[in-house]
Amino acid sequence: MEANGEETNPGFDPNKNYDEDTLAQQREIEKEIAAAQSMVSQLYTFDEIVEEYSQEDAIYRQKVEDLKTRFKNLRKTRGDGNCFYRAFGFAYLEILLSNAKEYKRFFDVAQKSKDELIGLGFPQFTLEDFHDTFMDVVKMVEKPGTVDALLNAFNDGGLSDYFVVYLRLLVSGHLQQNADLYIYFIDGERTVKEFCSQEVEPMGKESDHIHIVSLTKALQVPICVEYMDREGDKCNSFTFNPFEGSADTTDPTPVFTLLYRPGHYDILYPL
Amino acid sequence: MTTPARRRLMRDFKRLQEDPPAGVSGAPSDNNIMLWNAVIFGPHDTPFEDGTFKLTIEFTEEYPNKPPTVRFISKMFHPNVYADGSICLDILQNRWSPTYDVSAILTSIQSLLHDPNPNSPANYEAAQLYRETRREYEKKVAAIVQESWNDDDDDEEDDEGEEESKAVS
Repeated sequence: MEANGEETNPGFDPNKNYDEDTLAQQREIEKEIAAAQSMVSQLYTFDEIVEEYSQEDAIYRQKVEDLKTRFKNLRKTRGDGNCFYRAFGFAYLEILLSNAKEYKRFFDVAQKSKDELIGLGFPQFTLEDFHDTFMDVVKMVEKPGTVDALLNAFNDGGLSDYFVVYLRLLVSGHLQQNADLYIYFIDGERTVKEFCSQEVEPMGKESDHIHIVSLTKALQVPICVEYMDREGDKCNSFTFNPFEGSADTTDPTPVFTLLYRPGHYDILYPL
Repeated sequence: MTTPARRRLMRDFKRLQEDPPAGVSGAPSDNNIMLWNAVIFGPHDTPFEDGTFKLTIEFTEEYPNKPPTVRFISKMFHPNVYADGSICLDILQNRWSPTYDVSAILTSIQSLLHDPNPNSPANYEAAQLYRETRREYEKKVAAIVQESWNDDDDDEEDDEGEEESKAVS
């Protein structure tokens, strides 16, 4: 086949599908990450991870020292673009293991969410599949659930990824339900729905502030994030309070804390 | 051993049989639920009308978290279909949502036949003709519609899975 003369790169064939090569390469990288990192790790002490965390910078080393004054352990999550959801899911359910009252509240919210999402136009057939698995995992923290069983579930792709998908759908649903509010926080000429189909629903898409705000509001769970960046010599902590600005007087004390290093979320455990 | 992907594909198949969308059909190949054969009938009021276009859909164990690879086996002439039959469609790449099932994939491809997107061309000639000389485009499409029938009769190159064209409801 002769090209039309506009060609500048002799190796480039405009009718060849290069997307597949790119996708294949991407999958290879994902496989390497999957082989090297568990989806949710065991507990680590800061001394065990300080080298890894401070590779980039001496500032990070100083910040690990700061964390040690307030936190005892951390769990690492896999860096596959789903880390925020997985960290959120695991940290929260782990707390619910020993909080029956909050479990009851969450169970009802989770149960009800299915019909809300279907009402928003998500396809019932596939949504049910994710919701069923999601609820199976949620029920694991009903008595007498154990952290080990939960950890196993979060390292089982079939359960863990389905759980993440459902959290993504909850975020998408919340954003779409409150589109008139969130439209101002979306960059590019995109509708909220477009944003959701590009940046929320596909697996592996990383989370920004807007995703966190949205998930904490959808589930009414206040959380804290410790930001470990290059500014200052201590981590900046930020509380996401879903009740702010509403008449709700629920206690906004964060239920758990995540650690953010640029591009990644892990779970922190207080002293 | 049943895995989440296989379990979900069984459900997809069941749903496709119970609630078949108009103008598409699909089924797993004989021994392999991860490889499907599908047919899309050219939509009415398009140059593709009356064509019966065969495709393969290849799933990985990561389905439905990752999209399958979909390819036309029948010859295709369309701005968004590459020479090797693979398809340039956002929902099969970076806008894939795990809530899509086989039924949704096939109906999306069907509507792509209806509404090509000449701005992200996979076949430059088709995109150019579509934009500039629609009549020529339609002629070329008419030729591959004809070919799609021949395909049915004497071309037995892919002999896995019977080529039964399921009811077009």
